[in-house]
Amino acid sequence: MFKFIYNGIIRDINRSLLPIIVVTLGVFFTIFLSGWIQGVLFDMIEINANFTNGHVKVMTQAYAENESQIPNDLAIIGVEELMDSIEKDYPEMEWVSRIQFGGLLDVPDKNGETRAQGAAVAKAIDFSNEKEIERLNIRKALVKDNNSRLPKKSGEILISDDFAKRFHVNIRDEVSIIGSTMYGSMMFSNYIVCGTLRFGNQLLDKGAAIVDIADARRYLEMEDASSEIFGYFKEGEYNNENALKIKNTFTHKYTKDDDEYSPTMKTLTDDQNLGVYLSMTENMSAIMVSVLIFILSIVLWNTGLIGTMRRYSEFGVRLALGEQKKDIYKTLIYEAIIIGLIGSITGTVLGLIGVYVLQENGLDISGMMKNITMMMPTVFKAKLTPNLFYIGFIPGLLAMILGNALAGRAIFKRNTAKLFKELEV
Amino acid sequence: MIVETKHLIKKFPVGKSFFTALNDINIHIDKGEFLGLVGPSGSGKTTLLNIIGSLDVPTEGNAHVLGKSIKDLSAKESAILRNRHIGFIFQTYNLFPVYSVYENVEFALLLQKKTASERKTAVMQALEWVGLTDKAKARPNAISGGECQRVAIARAMVKNPELVIADEPTANLDKANSFHILDTMKKLNKELSTTFIFATHDEKVMKFLDRIIYLEDGKVINDETIKTESL
Ligand SMILES: Nc1ncnc2c1ncn2[C@@H]1O[C@H](COP(=O)(O)OP(=O)(O)OP(=O)(O)O)[C@@H](O)[C@H]1O
Ligand SMILES: [Mg+2]
Repeated sequence: MFKFIYNGIIRDINRSLLPIIVVTLGVFFTIFLSGWIQGVLFDMIEINANFTNGHVKVMTQAYAENESQIPNDLAIIGVEELMDSIEKDYPEMEWVSRIQFGGLLDVPDKNGETRAQGAAVAKAIDFSNEKEIERLNIRKALVKDNNSRLPKKSGEILISDDFAKRFHVNIRDEVSIIGSTMYGSMMFSNYIVCGTLRFGNQLLDKGAAIVDIADARRYLEMEDASSEIFGYFKEGEYNNENALKIKNTFTHKYTKDDDEYSPTMKTLTDDQNLGVYLSMTENMSAIMVSVLIFILSIVLWNTGLIGTMRRYSEFGVRLALGEQKKDIYKTLIYEAIIIGLIGSITGTVLGLIGVYVLQENGLDISGMMKNITMMMPTVFKAKLTPNLFYIGFIPGLLAMILGNALAGRAIFKRNTAKLFKELEV
Repeated sequence: MIVETKHLIKKFPVGKSFFTALNDINIHIDKGEFLGLVGPSGSGKTTLLNIIGSLDVPTEGNAHVLGKSIKDLSAKESAILRNRHIGFIFQTYNLFPVYSVYENVEFALLLQKKTASERKTAVMQALEWVGLTDKAKARPNAISGGECQRVAIARAMVKNPELVIADEPTANLDKANSFHILDTMKKLNKELSTTFIFATHDEKVMKFLDRIIYLEDGKVINDETIKTESL
């Protein structure tokens, strides 16, 4: 009987082609869109982790409260000791210091007079740590056509290509950052531009500069201080469960309620925006899958009805030949399973290929994102994750079975007494 | 005794009242008969075949077919009766278009869960009876109407039923083909003692029949047994 059903499906294109196409398309789009959403989410988490939040981040409680104003006067003092201690406590993490500071980026002319000036947020990182360079994607962001390179010695700075173009700053030009030290006195720091950066991200590309943390410490009078200590899992990927465990033990040991300069820890998901995105994305996947099942079922119900109408006389003959209604119904369900499998497998394969292509190549939407200053990637990528192997497959198969289970009920309404009459035509 | 009806009455609801399609039918049909129900359109031929074929039930009275009381059969029991013991031949062959001649004939045996080798022997035998062994692989749309009806006969005969029911089997066939299939059925009737019951208007069919039951307005008006000329 299986062969009979199978041959029917293979030979009767009308029976199989439309449902296969419907299921394939439905499954394909589900997987493709889910993969895309996951890719965007993953990129967003990565960027957030790498640039702003770390997997976990240590600050003083006072700094954490006003984090957005980067109040370096509230930075952690005694960083070396704290670093030694947490490196011992959490050997599974890599700990790095960073300092952010705001100021005026000043471009002087030949005579030392101000030629151009713009607000800038500078990031100070440890250029001797190759991992940090990778994390911030600096090598890739270096603009290629003007001989940009990483800082090699003290006093060199990387500035955003946007800023450089706007103020006609060239490589090897001198620039200054004017701001204030940790203790509130005027800071005037001089740098030589050794490269320009283009991250492809509005926020990062707008008036940003990167200097070595040793230089920044000297200028900001932060020799044994750091505004932020970032912790990254050595395994690479963010793990919320472990991050929360670390946060708990850290808080227990280091955070003191009565001392606002004692350190506190934030995990990546403590970032409110990110948390919202995360739950939004999860809901969206669930909604998408439900909508898929719903729409597909209705479409397939209808193709199923057309099918039972088209095969009216076939079912009539089968009833006359003594096949029971429930057995005919069963064969319809088997057909649906086979067709659903073919469609779902095809759709899944195509969807996974689509996601893979998008994952490898990305889709540049920076043109549409000109005015958006969210921490969001402007090259949309997809991410191939294990759940994509079933997220479309199961709904596709279920919808096919459900649609045909509904359509097939027509069999039970057939009246055998009318068969001779019906089969006369 | 293959078929026996007793005071068989069939009424159809028409609006608020009933239309009596069969009115007190009492017939006996024995094993090996080659019998026709003949009568004008609307006389109740198909209605009677439906009941004998356990596709429908009597309103009053009863029919016994192969020892089974038709009015007492469940849907499942009547399906089994049709599947095992009764062959059907329709006016418009009603073969499955996507299956080969072989598979069309084989289908009846699939329902009986026969093994592959049992099926093969029986199908080839049935195709031989109707002279279509060389067309086993053809699809219905690639063979003539007469050949299609022969496939339908093979499909009805493959399970070696006690009874074959055919409603106007020659209505769509020309003279030569009609003769051919009737000849085939007559031969099977003789060789296997299969009982055949036809409903027909067709003069050509009547010549082959051993017995004709004339119906009019749902009543048997004549029941005659004929000596057929052997062809
Ligand atoms: N399901 C039904 N509902 C109502 N009336 C019916 C039904 N089936 C048959 N009839 C009526 O019963 C009568 C007998 O019908 P039947 O089909 O048995 O005639 P028939 O002898 O086979 O005619 P034909 O030679 O045209 O096939 C007809 O008048 C028909 O209209
Ligand atoms: Mg009729």
